[in-house]
Parts: sequence; C-alpha cells; structure tokens
Amino acid sequence: MARHLPLVLAWLVAIFLVAPIVIIVPMSFSSAISFEFPPPGYWIGYYTQYFSSHAWLEATANSFIIAFGSMVFTLAVALPAAFGFVRHRFFGKSAFNLVMMLPVIVPAVVSALGYYGFLSLLGLVGTHVGMIIAQSVLSIPVAFLVISAALKGFDRNLERAAMSAGAGPLRTFLWVTLPVLRPGILVGALFAFLHSFNEAVVAIFIAGRDASTLPKKMFESIRLETDPVIAVVSTLLTGAVLLGVLISLFFRQRPENAT
Amino acid sequence: MQAGLRNNPSSRDGMTTWLLVAPAVLCIIVLFIAPIGYVLLLSVTDPTVSLDHYRRLFTVPLYANVLINTFKTSLIVTVACLLLGYPLAYVMARRNDVVAIIFIVVVGMSFWTGFVVRTYAWLIILGNKGPVAAAYTLAGWGRPPQLLFTSFSSTLGMTHVLLPYMVLALYGVMRKIDPSYMRAAEGLGARPFGAFRHVFLPLSLPGVVNGCALVFTMCLGFYITPILLGTPKDMMISQLISQQIEDLLAWGFASAIAVVLLACTLILLGLYNRFAGLDRLWG
Repeated sequence: MARHLPLVLAWLVAIFLVAPIVIIVPMSFSSAISFEFPPPGYWIGYYTQYFSSHAWLEATANSFIIAFGSMVFTLAVALPAAFGFVRHRFFGKSAFNLVMMLPVIVPAVVSALGYYGFLSLLGLVGTHVGMIIAQSVLSIPVAFLVISAALKGFDRNLERAAMSAGAGPLRTFLWVTLPVLRPGILVGALFAFLHSFNEAVVAIFIAGRDASTLPKKMFESIRLETDPVIAVVSTLLTGAVLLGVLISLFFRQRPENAT
Repeated sequence: MQAGLRNNPSSRDGMTTWLLVAPAVLCIIVLFIAPIGYVLLLSVTDPTVSLDHYRRLFTVPLYANVLINTFKTSLIVTVACLLLGYPLAYVMARRNDVVAIIFIVVVGMSFWTGFVVRTYAWLIILGNKGPVAAAYTLAGWGRPPQLLFTSFSSTLGMTHVLLPYMVLALYGVMRKIDPSYMRAAEGLGARPFGAFRHVFLPLSLPGVVNGCALVFTMCLGFYITPILLGTPKDMMISQLISQQIEDLLAWGFASAIAVVLLACTLILLGLYNRFAGLDRLWG
C-alpha cells in the first residue's frame, strides 16, 4: 500500500489540475443563463451565439492577429539573441542575460501600468500595433529560453563536418544548423504565440475596445455580465491548448528518439 | 557564426556578437525598461512632485495590511503548491510509462490554459449553483456556506493556477536525478522511504527552491485570480492597484504601489540569485 502512495497522490493532484478545466465543457452546452452545474438541460445555443456575435468574433480575430504578429517579432529578435548568448562571449553577458529575462521577472500589473503610460504617450493605446509591441516584448524571454536550450544541445561537429566538406558558413547555417534546430525553434515559436494569446493583464490595461483580445473580453464579461458565451470560448480555447500540447510533445519527443 | 565555429569559444569578434544580441537587448531596454521607468516617475510626480504616496502606503494601516496579507497569502499558496506538486512531479520523473505521459499532458494543458479560463472554472465550481453547493444540499447540510469571493476561493484559485509552475520546476530537477542512486540505496539495505528521504529528497531540494521562488514571486503580483475570486476585505496588492485606478483614477498612488510590488519581487529574486543563480529559475 505504502508503495503506491505517491502514485495515488499524484493521480489526485492531476485530477485537481484537470477537473476544473473539464467541467467547463458541459457548461458550454448548458441551457442555463447563469453558472449552474450540473446543467438543467443541454443545447448548442451559446455556440451559435458565439459564432454570430460580432464582439466575440472580433476579439477572436484580434487574438490571432496580435499573437501571430508578436510571434514573428519575438522570433526575429530572440533567435539571433539565442545564438549570440549561447555561442559567444561578450562584455556584460550575465547582466544582459538578466535584462533578457526582465519581462518575465517584473509582475504583469507593473508592466501593464508602464505600458499604459508609455503607449499613451505614443498614441498607441487601443491599437493592434501597441498590443503587438507589448506582447512581443513580454514573450521574448519565453522564446529565448526555449531556443537557447535547443542550441545548447546542438552538436557543433555537424557544422564542422559540413564546413570541412566545403560548405560555406551561410550554406552550413541554412542546410545543417537550421534544419537540426527546427523542432526547438518551432516549439519556441509556439510558446511565444501561446504566451501572447493567453496574456491578460497587459491586454486589460492597453487593448482598449478596438484591439480587445479574448482574455480581456472574457475578464470583462465575467466581471460585468457573466455572459454564458464565456464557457463556449473557454471550451474552444482548452481544445486548442490540448492540440498545441500534443503537437509540442510530438516535436520534443522526436530528437530524443532520433539519437 | 564564423567566430563561433572556431575551436576557441572565447573568440570575441565583437561585431557579429553585437549584431546578434543588440536587437533583443535594445528592444527590452527601450520597450520594457523605459515603460517601467515611467511608472517610477509617475509614482513621485503625479499629481505633484513628492514622496507622499510612499509615506501613505507605509503609514496608513489599511495599506500596510494589504502588504502583509499579500505576503501571507503568497506563503500559503506556495506551501500548498509544494505539497500538491511534489508527489505529482515525483511520479512524472520516476516513471517512464503511459502514466507519466498522461501527467505531462495534464500539466502542460493546465500550464497553457489561460489564467482567465481557469479562474472562470472556479467561479462555476464554487458558485451558489455549482457542484460543491449541490453536493452540500444533497448531503442534507442545508444552505452551503459562502465560498466565492472569500480569501478561501482566491487562495484556492491561485493554488490551482500556479501549481503547474511548481510541478514543472520540480520536474526539471527531479528528471536529472539518476535512478541508480535510489537502487543503490535500496540495494544497500535502505527501505524505500529511507532511500527517498536520504537520497532523492536532498537531491530534489534545488527544484523545491526554484519552484517556491517562482510561485511566491508570481503570487505577490497576481492580478486576474484575486480580482475575480477574492474579496475587498482581504485585498492583495494587485486588487489595491486595480481599485485605485478603476474607482479613484489615482494613477500616482497606483504607480507607487506597483513600484513597491516590483521592489519586493526584485529583492526576493536578488536573494534567490545570490544563493542559487537566477538563470536556473526557468531552466
């Protein structure tokens, strides 16, 4: 019995983690207007409402546009930075490494207040550009960490082999380095995307009406009117996350299997 | 790239290095540190140039209580996350079967499901028409107690939301513990619990420290969950900031609270950095 104690505890904790997320699924098909569990009846009316609501669809579109935009921006700066930090030595490296991590160290409320002030000076509060700037800076550390970890595990002999076989530096990079690192870069990109997609606090402060994303819209709906469509959105988001986790598991598993 | 390919990794051809590193570092300095600096500035200039906001924050008992309550709640959440997270991470790290994969998917899923969605789930569960209340009535105990909008619901929600961070921090360290150490201890006559206590537990302590530092500092400034599930009676720092802005439009005072929150976070992580090294925190 005592031998199984850790496993039993682990299952209980796993259920504690996942049960609240699962409970939202039947709620999204509930016919009740308020939070009632178990639901008194089932229908798909709130799904219809979601897919015909201009405000919810706009928030969904904004979420995708902003998360995609910031993913591209984040990768463009985090990928070279990871190469710089992993492969080179330079003055003040450990201090700059700390600077790179600041966006995840500083509490989100503090960043949110800062962005509100800063972006209103530039006239960018409530715009997609403002949101993309803020969200991409906030996800730089996430992408940077994932790509750096992949780069640290990279076998430099592969590059040496390519170079000694006559490939130039650019050719080596495009045909050897990038393809080997691709899973790590893709996971970094996925994490950056999800990070911006889920970010709520900064969005609440700076997204305004026009650039409102799903987390902001949900937060406001919960506080103001408890729109039952929230359950629908939550269910769709949870489904998307499950898909994302399975995809990243697939990419992470592959390099281990290959060696 | 070329520089990196030489055998000597300390080669410094500055140009390439800076071209790689500068965009990211500049981005963070201009687009992150500058906005934070603006908060600092606002806290001593809005509405007039003075340190009054800070004086008020530390002398008015109501605000001092908010600070104390925030630390107390963060401590409770951290301990709860550690107690719940340890067995789960232990099983994830020690097994190599389908159970471990299921747990990894569960933790990954809850890690990436947004804070708002998971907080919303607790509004349903603890609500007065939710499953807890229904079970209460079914058991014949009469009217269920008020669960939502109490410090209990806020603490429970934060524990649930932050638990995956703890599990991942523990798992990261536990996964690297060589299983043969445990077998050696058992082979030398230690009972399973003895082997765990004298071998595994000490080796997993860096993970415990990482997880606690991560969860505690995240909890200090946590915004979404305390605001949606908590009560104004037991406010946390983030609730106070939100109240100052939304109800009173007191940006200067809100900024001062934010600066204090930032200072607390940086001091704690600075201490952690001295003893453990900050770059390991998210490893």
